[in-house]
Formats: sequence, structure tokens, C-alpha cells
Amino acid sequence: MTKIMDVKNLVKTFEHGLVRALNGVNLEVSESEFIAIMGPSGCGKSTFLHILGGLETPTSGAVVVDGINISEAKNLDNFRARKIGFVFQLHNLIPVLTARENVQIPMFELKLSGKERNERAAKLLELVGLEERGDFVPPKLSGGQRQKVAVARALANDPRILLVDEPTGNLDSASGHEIIQIFQTLNRNGRTIVLVTHDKEVAEHANIIYYMKDGQILKS
Amino acid sequence: MNGLTISMEGMLKTGEANFSVAQSGISDFIFSRIKENRTHEIMQLEAVEKAAGVLMGFYSIGQNPYVITWGTEKEDFPMLGINIINGSPFIQEFDIIIGEVASKEWNKTISDKLTIKETEFTITGIYRTASIYQDKGVVLQLRKLQEMQSQEGYVTIIYVQLKEGANIEETTRQIEEKFPDLVTIKSVSELGKVDKGLETLDAATMAVSLLAVIIGGIGVTNTIMMSVYKRTREIGVLRAVGWTKKRILTMILGESILLCLFSVLIGLPVGVLGTKLLMLQPIIRGVLEPILSVEAFARAIVVAFAVGLVGGLYPAYRASKLPPSEALRYE
Repeated sequence: MTKIMDVKNLVKTFEHGLVRALNGVNLEVSESEFIAIMGPSGCGKSTFLHILGGLETPTSGAVVVDGINISEAKNLDNFRARKIGFVFQLHNLIPVLTARENVQIPMFELKLSGKERNERAAKLLELVGLEERGDFVPPKLSGGQRQKVAVARALANDPRILLVDEPTGNLDSASGHEIIQIFQTLNRNGRTIVLVTHDKEVAEHANIIYYMKDGQILKS
Repeated sequence: MNGLTISMEGMLKTGEANFSVAQSGISDFIFSRIKENRTHEIMQLEAVEKAAGVLMGFYSIGQNPYVITWGTEKEDFPMLGINIINGSPFIQEFDIIIGEVASKEWNKTISDKLTIKETEFTITGIYRTASIYQDKGVVLQLRKLQEMQSQEGYVTIIYVQLKEGANIEETTRQIEEKFPDLVTIKSVSELGKVDKGLETLDAATMAVSLLAVIIGGIGVTNTIMMSVYKRTREIGVLRAVGWTKKRILTMILGESILLCLFSVLIGLPVGVLGTKLLMLQPIIRGVLEPILSVEAFARAIVVAFAVGLVGGLYPAYRASKLPPSEALRYE
């Protein structure tokens, strides 16, 4: 299978080198894989995910995601808008916008018409089973429903890669299970998913599980 | 401030007069003191059709402590734009005519008595001019007002009407050259020649307005800055889904401008209401006339837009520079 992520000797430090969050990470991910990275809080999982998604740049090492060299790319906004979908532990929806409007937020960078955005958002909400909740604002939705809206938002620009950070951390087990099932369906349809979690049960739904410890990745 | 300027212009250029003449080198035109015979000397000039000397004063009448009082001859009414709409001009020493607005405010009409500085006058007519400011005043015989003010042989201002086809620039220059103690005023832009007080007031008003705009701008910056802090995580999410720095900057600036435009929508009616309330005060009603023009409203909207733009610049810049990963971690 085609390699979609290639990480070589990735180092990320903070506080002028005093804090070493990632200490020589190496990882290869093929297209359409569903991998989970497990590890305790503070081991560098989220930092790693942020670098893969172009939210941060490496201190050293090489990170190539879907043909884009994260260390050297000039325009990571465009990379994030078109190639990456993020799902966070906290849904991070905008509380004053409806579910449909929240899903449309990433589409503004694609310069779609209002009608196209609406149609696309409706389809995505249908995909996550919330077609009836499009006009609801986040405070009127349950925790599981909010996270589903966040998943729909991550899929707004049809990215090839989903980066998922503790997606079930704030959900009850039933809602968490539903969210994981959505990821499995998305993966079966060809999407590459990188999920970080400290929950073993969640990680076991992935095809491959990696462990992260002291800023390094160890395969299971 | 425009209202005050327009009120002043109404006094300096009125009726059929092409321009007015006042004493040079004075700080406020009401202090102008011109020898009455200058009126006749100006009338001798070839280009001049007519000249009318007028003495002005301010007296406390009714609840208004600053009623403008004109002393002139009834033959000069057309020069001053005075039209009698009821009754007749003054004939005798203690006759007086009053403006239409003053008549309504004081509830006085023909044959009623009016006391000015312990002198009782009989109202013989009601007049109307093109200026509300003048219509709030009274007019009496020049000799009588000179006597009341101990200004025999002097006038405050001379109104000049030119012959048809005469060159106004040339004539005013000729007057200023021939009579160095006089200065001519052709338009509102020349008010500064005889009224430094107006210029000072204008500068003070500008300073106060500027201060208000600066304070408003700081308020807007603070409000938007607080909003940016509160929405740091939201901005992080927007950056994570691919929004560019430019789009974040535009969004925050847009919010800042909208806030100011919304404020102006509330502020304008409140301002109009406040002005109406102020005008209920006799001390202000007699002196100032508010100009609630489209231009003034448009200026308020433009200033609000500018304050929103400038006040929102720094918060918008800060928001656009937020590193997305840090913004997402913000608690």
C-alpha cells in the first residue's frame, strides 16, 4: 500500500530545549490504515498529532504527510484545509452556531457557494446520524451528538487523513462506541485514521496499535 | 459646532447684503465698534448700492438671558432680510418688533409690552428672517439701542449690497485698503477674521471630539481583546480546520466594525434625544441651534467605522498571530 505518512527521527522541544516532548520518533503509515497511538498523559501524543496535522513544526527530523514536508511547507493552512480532518477530545464547536453551520466552517476555505455548503453539511450530518439536528446549537445537543458534529466538521472538506485526539474521553461508553463505529466505517471507505488515546478498549478498534513513552514510539 | 457657525453666519451675512463689514483686529465680532459715518463713506463707493449700519446687543428677556437685539432703521429691513409678517415696523422711540420664534416662546403679540433693561417697549410687529437665530431676537430703532448701550454714533456691523455686476472681491479689497480699521466678511470661511472665539471654540470642540474618539477606540480595543481571549480555543479550532491568518484577521476586524456600527445605531437616536432635551434649556435655546443634518449623521457613521477599524486592528492582529496548537491548549 502507498505510504501516506513518513516520520523520521522527529524531535520536538519546548522552552528553548528544556522540555523534550518528542525524542526521535519514527513512524510509517500506509494509506487507509487505522492506527492508534497509546500512552499516558504528557507522553507527547497530542504534540505528535499536532505536528502530523501541521499545527506545529518539528524542531528537527523529517515529517512528510501526503507528499507535504511539514518542516519546509510554506502554507500549512491550505494543507490543513484540504488534506487533514481534526477531531479533538473536547468537541470545540462554536456554541452560537447551529450544528449545520459548525460543519460548514472548514468549507469557507474552499470557496463553495452557500447552497453547496448547505448540501454538503446536510449529507455529513446524515452520515453521522444527525440529519434531524442540523438546526440545533451545541448546548442543545448531548455530548455524543456534539462529538458526532465535530466528526462531521472534520470531514467537511473530504480529507484523506483524520487525526483524532481522545475522541471518547468525555463520552459515556455507548456514545463512545458509536463514535468509534463511525471511524471504523470511514476507515473501511478508505480514509487513513491516526487516533491517540490512553484507553486500551478504544485503541483495540484500530488495525495497528503503537505505544508512546518518553517521546518515542514503540510498536505493540 | 456647525450650528454655532451657521448662527454666526446668519448674523454676518443676511438679506440682500453681499457681505458685511466689521472692526478689524477684534477677538469676537460682538465687540466690533465702527463709527456710524463709515456707513455713509462706504455708500459713496462706486460699486456699492446700499450700506446699512446695525448695532447689536444681547439682553436678558423672559427666560432667555442672551436674546440678540438689533438696532437699525426700518428702511434697512430688506438688507437684513427682515420681513414683517404681522403688524408694522416701529415708528416711535419705544416701538419694537420681535422675531416669530421669540413671539411664540414668550407668548407675546402686537400691542403687548416687552421690557428690556428696565425700558418698556410696545410690540408693533412680528418679523421673520431666513435664520431661526435672528427670529429668536428683537429689533428696535438704531438710535434707541445706541442710547441704551451708550454707543451713540457707533454701529457693530455694516451690511453692504453691491450694484448689479459689481466685483465683490475688488470692492472688499478696496474697503479694506481705504479703511484699515475695517475688515470684510464674505462667507463663513472668513468668520475667523472677526471671531477668534469661534476658532477657539472650534479647536476645543475638535479636541473634545478627538478625545472621545480615542477613549471610544480604547474601549473597542479592550472589548474585542477580551473577546479574543475568551475565544482563544475557538480561534485555535478555526486555524486547525485551515482558516488562514488573513481570514481570522478579517473576522475580528469585521466584528469590531459591526460593534461600532451597531453602537452608532443606538447612539444616534440617543444623541438626537439628548440634543432635544438640551434645547429645552432656555440658556441654550436662545444661542445655539442644533444641525441634525444627513451630513452630521453620515460623519458619525464614518467615525464609528474608523473607530471600529482602528480599535479592532490590534486584537485582530493578535488573534491572527495565535499559534494554533497553543490556542487549542488554552484553558
